[in-house]
Amino acid sequence: MDTSVFRLEGVTKRYGDLVALNDASLEVGANEYLSFLGPSGSGKTTLLRVIAGFEAPETGRIFFDGRDITNVQAHERGIGFVFQNFALFPHLTVMQNVAFGLTNGKTRVPTPEAEGRAAEMIELVGLSGMEGRGVDQISGGQRQRVALARTLAMKPRLVLLDEPLGALDANLRSRMRNELRAIRERLGVTFLHVTGSETEALAMGDRVVVLDRGTIIQTGTPGEIYDRPASPDVAHFLNRFNLFEGTLSNGSFSASFGTIRAPAATRADRDCYAVRYDRVKVLPLSAKPADGPALKATYIASEYLGSSIMSFFDAGQGHLIEMEHHLSLGAPETYEPRQDYLLTWNPEQAIVFGREAAI
Amino acid sequence: MESRFIKPALGVYVALFVLFLYGPFVVLTIISFQQGPDGGPQFPIVEWSTYWYRQVFGLTPPSRIAPLPFGEALIRSLVLALMTMVVSTVLGVMSAQAFRRSFKGSTFVFYLIVLGMMVPGVLTGLGTSLLANNIIGIERHWYTTAFATHVAYTFPFAFLVMLAILNRFDSSVEEAAWSLGVDPWTTFRKVTFPLIFPGVLSAMLFAFTLSLDEFPRTLFASGRDQTLPLAIYGTFSVEIHPNIFAFGVLTTLFSFALLSVYGILMALSVRRAKKMAMQEDIA
Repeated sequence: MDTSVFRLEGVTKRYGDLVALNDASLEVGANEYLSFLGPSGSGKTTLLRVIAGFEAPETGRIFFDGRDITNVQAHERGIGFVFQNFALFPHLTVMQNVAFGLTNGKTRVPTPEAEGRAAEMIELVGLSGMEGRGVDQISGGQRQRVALARTLAMKPRLVLLDEPLGALDANLRSRMRNELRAIRERLGVTFLHVTGSETEALAMGDRVVVLDRGTIIQTGTPGEIYDRPASPDVAHFLNRFNLFEGTLSNGSFSASFGTIRAPAATRADRDCYAVRYDRVKVLPLSAKPADGPALKATYIASEYLGSSIMSFFDAGQGHLIEMEHHLSLGAPETYEPRQDYLLTWNPEQAIVFGREAAI
Repeated sequence: MESRFIKPALGVYVALFVLFLYGPFVVLTIISFQQGPDGGPQFPIVEWSTYWYRQVFGLTPPSRIAPLPFGEALIRSLVLALMTMVVSTVLGVMSAQAFRRSFKGSTFVFYLIVLGMMVPGVLTGLGTSLLANNIIGIERHWYTTAFATHVAYTFPFAFLVMLAILNRFDSSVEEAAWSLGVDPWTTFRKVTFPLIFPGVLSAMLFAFTLSLDEFPRTLFASGRDQTLPLAIYGTFSVEIHPNIFAFGVLTTLFSFALLSVYGILMALSVRRAKKMAMQEDIA
């Protein structure tokens, strides 16, 4: 059974010498929420623009709804796009913005009917009563909703969101996140969501696609990505791992913390040892860990995050080690600033990357 | 110390500048109220009167001074300026729109367009009339050959204005319209054009005023029927009466009225542009 709504096959896009997108292939199912994670310049926005039809790829094909849309113009694709800067029509009211595609698009819905449908969308995003306002008379979060309502009014089967929450403050961001999810469940739309925030990507996506330098480097559920990053780069973007450079040799990893057995290493283009922040344990300097890693580090400071506490240690040569303590696991210990401690962890829970690994 | 000296100096400079700018017009205005029909275009004012204004409109009894032969020339010039304005602005908007994406030979085309305002007008006029007379073999008219030179002259101005406007234009609103299924032409009409309208207005004003008082190109290219600047120049060769000054005051007032309309429309559009800028600031 083919439930695929959307498919990319070997799409490559260059700007001069710069390869913005390198041989990207992807398949997206109906009613799926896909988030694209990557640093700025990783090609994630380019990918959306190519899908929307604002840019033409050099090679590769794009399929949507069972047809090849590679050479179809943007306005004939029927794919919605929500811009980071919202790109509302400044000369129109909220109502006119939302009804714009209905009244001016291919179907040319008569104004009364279009306004009826637009009003439904405005209600859906919680902006009832603001229909007559100019888009300069509403707040940033409200503009975001107008942008979303404007796109959803066209009932697209696929909606592309280009860092749609980037312009909002943290509070609004988490509220909009919930609303996006609720709207998606109500309307049954496939969402492709580009973000630079790992929290957002993991929280929003049914699947997460990690991009780096124009290449898709991992695709998986948030759990898979979080627990088993496919490469040191993915681990780095997730911003949840302490990374150690070292050497993997004969199934053992040697780094600043000593040499540890690492039988289940993942194949990568460089040797790297990753330990999640919340796997790190702190021991007094006098303690002798029976077996396993032991890293001497100086305590710097802690940050209170509500549900957990982040503690920062200096392992020498400016290598910062982060330790996360979940407060649900008990009260945190207190550490003395500028004092040395011993950091350790269960080697079974570490992720090891290496050139000599089999897989 | 420095500013104590520089500020008054700059003030004097600006005062002189304003004096030279408006001095001629002030003198013109004063003399236009000279007594008629015997008073001449000089000081002192014998007696203040509106005689010459009435003379311009043919409201005075016939005298030895003939009425100004401007009626038809004025109509011709206004029609020519309107035609030029429409064609140059449309061309200017379209070509500037084309320059939003770089294309092969775009630099060459750019200079080709801008050349129209660089070439000395007398040469363009002369060249056009030679081309019409000797090579193509068509008659010269204000609405054919002269019109062509006016468009070639004002088009670059409209083009440059629109280029500057579109340079700052955030094209994501156009992409947003496309993604809503709106075709590029409707997008241009409903989104792009309303937003660049202040620029279009400026381009129109440039084209209209430049065409209205164009002299060197028209001199050779207009053929038998004269435009207003040529007709005014023609009266100088006989004898100058204050009626020409009265006429000058009236046309200047007309220009001011035009500028005021432009200013009002511009203010309305700028408010809209500000909305857009605000939206971008937040993003």
